[in-house]
Amino acid sequence: MSAVALPQLLALFLFVVGMLIVLVRRNTIVLLLGVELMLNAANLSLVSFSNNMGMIDGQIQVFFVITIAAAESAVGLSILVNLYRNFGSVRTDRARTLQG
Amino acid sequence: MVEVNILVGVIAVFCAVLALVMLFAKEALTCALSLLGILLGTAALYAVMGEHFVATIQLVVYAGAIMVLFVFSIMLLNVQKTGDDFKVGTPRFALAAVAGLALLGVGGWVILDFVPNFGGEWTPETVAQLGGNTRVLSHALFSRHFVAFEAVSLALIVALVGAVTLAKRKLN
Repeated sequence: MSAVALPQLLALFLFVVGMLIVLVRRNTIVLLLGVELMLNAANLSLVSFSNNMGMIDGQIQVFFVITIAAAESAVGLSILVNLYRNFGSVRTDRARTLQG
Repeated sequence: MVEVNILVGVIAVFCAVLALVMLFAKEALTCALSLLGILLGTAALYAVMGEHFVATIQLVVYAGAIMVLFVFSIMLLNVQKTGDDFKVGTPRFALAAVAGLALLGVGGWVILDFVPNFGGEWTPETVAQLGGNTRVLSHALFSRHFVAFEAVSLALIVALVGAVTLAKRKLN
């Protein structure tokens, strides 16, 4: 097992768990937390690769990803506040106005 | 080197357990605090790797600002009353678990098969000689990636104005 393998395996596991959270949970806040977990897993993978391969471009990329993640969570949470105002709940199965 | 690997392993187990707590916990606040633990663990991993700038950014922006936003929203919406009807035995969960295990298997096979053979120019010795991780990164950020840096700052201000507008809007 090479030195890069352990952080990469952790990143893979965190990504899969984040994907499962987005797929099975019905609480919208937890869904957003799962998206953040997947972003964090991708960041870990990028930093670990760039560290092992002697490059810094991965870390530059992570810098940008973290910035966009901050923007994404701000917009996502304000949409969530609107969702709560409209439906009185943050569960995804309550927000089914478009379902005929 | 062995001690470093043990440290990385301990942090990895910590993060993996917290991720499973996040998947199965009923309360949103438990999930948020588990994610905070995972983010702190990831920052520790970055620090162990010697990437101090990214570790600091991770602590300040991710574990600081973003998690404060999440915890604030959870407390604002007071979601523990709404509950969560997520059950382990349902077909939906089984299907998702099969997909997750398949991805885990294929990804793990690829990672364990992978041998890094790309010797880049930024070895730890070179970075230390040039004045450390932060200096090298900021030099790259403000020269080669300058346009992307400005574009991201613009995207950030647009997103924040949009978030305030969305949260203030009255819908009927």
